[in-house]
Amino acid sequence: MRIVYYLALRLAIAALTLVGVSILVFAGLRLLPGGFEQMVLGPDASVEARAELVAKFGLDQSGPAQYVKWLAAAAAGDLGVSMATSKPVADEMLRRAPATVQVALIATATALAVGLPLGLLAGLGVGRWRSVGRVVGALGASVPEVVLGSVLVYIFSRWSLGATVGGYVPLTEDLGVSLRATLLPGMSLGIFGIALLVRTTRDSVQRVLTDGHVLTAVSQGRTRWQIVRHHVLRNASIPVLTVTATYIGYLLGGALIAEILFSVPGIGLYVYSALGNRDYAVVQAGVLLAAAVFIAVNTVADLGYAVLDPRIDARRHG
Amino acid sequence: MTGISCALRRGRAWLPAAVAAASLLVLPGLALAQGQKPVIWGKPSEVLSTDPHSSGDGSSWTVFYLIYDQLLSTDDKLNITPKLAESWEQVSPTSYVFRLRKNAAFSNGRPLTSADVVGSLKRLTDPQKARGWGKQIGGVNDVVAVDAHTVRIDLAKPNTALLSILSVATTSILPMKEIEAGSFDPAKGMLGSGPYKVAQHRQDEAWLLERNPHYWQSGKPLMDKMTIRVMPDDAARLAGLRDGSIDVATFENPDTPRLLGAIPSVQSVVQKTPNYFHLDLSGLNGNSVFKDRRVRQAAALVVDRPAIANAVFGGESAVEYAVPSAFGKKLCDGLPSYTLPRKERVAKAKALLKEAGHPNPRISLIASSVLVTYPLIAQVLQPQLQEAGFSVQVQQVPVAEWYKRVLTTNPKDSNFDASLTWFAGFSDPGIVLNWWTSGFSPVFTTFLEPVAEYGDLMAQVRQTPNGPERDRLMTRACGLIESSANMIPLVGKPDYIGFRRDQLDARFGPLEGNFDVFKYVADFKRR
Repeated sequence: MRIVYYLALRLAIAALTLVGVSILVFAGLRLLPGGFEQMVLGPDASVEARAELVAKFGLDQSGPAQYVKWLAAAAAGDLGVSMATSKPVADEMLRRAPATVQVALIATATALAVGLPLGLLAGLGVGRWRSVGRVVGALGASVPEVVLGSVLVYIFSRWSLGATVGGYVPLTEDLGVSLRATLLPGMSLGIFGIALLVRTTRDSVQRVLTDGHVLTAVSQGRTRWQIVRHHVLRNASIPVLTVTATYIGYLLGGALIAEILFSVPGIGLYVYSALGNRDYAVVQAGVLLAAAVFIAVNTVADLGYAVLDPRIDARRHG
Repeated sequence: MTGISCALRRGRAWLPAAVAAASLLVLPGLALAQGQKPVIWGKPSEVLSTDPHSSGDGSSWTVFYLIYDQLLSTDDKLNITPKLAESWEQVSPTSYVFRLRKNAAFSNGRPLTSADVVGSLKRLTDPQKARGWGKQIGGVNDVVAVDAHTVRIDLAKPNTALLSILSVATTSILPMKEIEAGSFDPAKGMLGSGPYKVAQHRQDEAWLLERNPHYWQSGKPLMDKMTIRVMPDDAARLAGLRDGSIDVATFENPDTPRLLGAIPSVQSVVQKTPNYFHLDLSGLNGNSVFKDRRVRQAAALVVDRPAIANAVFGGESAVEYAVPSAFGKKLCDGLPSYTLPRKERVAKAKALLKEAGHPNPRISLIASSVLVTYPLIAQVLQPQLQEAGFSVQVQQVPVAEWYKRVLTTNPKDSNFDASLTWFAGFSDPGIVLNWWTSGFSPVFTTFLEPVAEYGDLMAQVRQTPNGPERDRLMTRACGLIESSANMIPLVGKPDYIGFRRDQLDARFGPLEGNFDVFKYVADFKRR
């Protein structure tokens, strides 16, 4: 029963957050200078041609009227039609989602596979891993994505190393080509994820190691792996889960720079192009979806906390 | 140091390096799909509008030429050549007869007839929806289908540039029968009689083209398929050329020839055009110092065009004039802003500013981020203008904001001092000169100070046949443009192309005026 109450509360907060996001993105877009009719028709289009296009998409109505109409449609699952292409935004989003998800999965897998063990070893102070963790954490977090991506683009186009820049096709169309085209953006984003996880895991492990129960376990003569397994990993995992969820939420929203650099036709690139063209329907839907995904992933993480640490669940409910 | 960490340090080290390495392994064994490889063009931007008659974007026009045909085309010297019209005749100063190819057909198999030409030209010149291109044609009394393959255009007044205008993508011949029947909407797709047809379009990703089996050039195009891959990042397109995953790429960056030169097997082409950059000054906004013509003239005088051509384009561009140099006419090169020594021009500019009561005017210069060249030109212009006493702040703004503040039809939105943009020269010098006519384009009316004499003069330019008299009129137009100093021609705008010469046997014209970059695509073949 408590979990039902908790979920209902989370859903209500999520809905309110989404309404807030929808107002911000709707108003923000209208405040940006320039209109889509100029972008699509070019600056020398006649006043009549522009007015006709504006009326076609209902942009001649008042702001509140447009907002209510859009929100009601979005709530019913209708994300509208792209003003530039006249194609349904939902269809275009669905078509692009696999590319974004694929890159996000590669990046997350890379980050988890490397970042977690490295962060754990660094936190435990094993051998040189502490220094390695520090260097990887600092470098990965401080090298801008655009620089790292550009270096990867050069290296992988200069020498035949398997991965390609551009040429994405869906997995179902050609597995090999699809993986080759998403490997570099995935790695590029994954390196930042590695740094994020190394630092978080290391700090979290170090904090847990100072807890009294760990010293007690040492004094009881438990083996180190028993201590790590039973007393460190679980307690150190909550901050790691938080940053992992935030990271995945960011990736699923469309990692723009990587999608541009590596010509991945994902959601980020779609929304970015639409923003330049003032294609309101696409940008509004993209931002709303990104926010929804972000909230969903973090809600799942929230639920995960209670599984990892029952004390959290107890505190939540008095 | 905690007890546990000390304990662990003493023990056997375990390494997850294998996991780390495994996660970073690439997949070199995965092979590309086999089969006939299409020509792959890495294009910087997506097609903004699929309707040629309402598109104002030159980058989209380049794609239209692959799908649609126009009545006419141009050769490498900008002379008019046949296309859908295999011959034409000017039967009177205002009347032209075009004879269409009898074997032309749309890619759906339906023969292209004079009804399609009549319908397309009427759609284009509909006064209710007239765009720049409808206006370029001018008043049309009638467009008549003489027979199934003959069309007559009756103009209200002579227009010497008509044939040139009919070679531009915006005058493409559309399948009017399908449009009128509602089975085809040009705003949502493309259906033409050009060398290729659209097989698939993935927005912001790719256009997959297949040969039009009904194309009028027998046996062509030689390549069955063409893929237009939308690749916004310059580095990605360079990488694609470097690893051979794309065959050809187009660029805007003036550094392109140098970058392409470092890639073996890639041929760099700098395609000359009659297009040129110009500096626009706000001549009507009371908040701008440029409302005073003397201040505009001062700015025009201190511009150092050769310095821009060298610093920004590494010598691949050249000084430009209102009448583009590509036409070889030299009608504007005797004007003071071109002939006076720079020292003298700077002194004159300072005197003009002093006389106007603005010895040190503060101005902003808008350089839209839509082209990498705008900010580069602005950086070179900034110290040049400062030499005369201007204090210049360069503003790099998104394209939509630039349109809103500069290229707007609403005087209330017009909010700038100076801005950079460019004109296309096409294949007749009179076309570009029209833009200085007050009211000709709605977007320039918000900053272009009307020069009464100019409108009358351009009416004569449009109506006078090519020859010394028309040249004399255009020279006068150049003088008025120079003295009004509202839109100041700067330097030429070349196009940059790179292609894999080991993969593709391709030809690109040395001079192109209509954005028909892939004019010879039907002859492309794989090596």
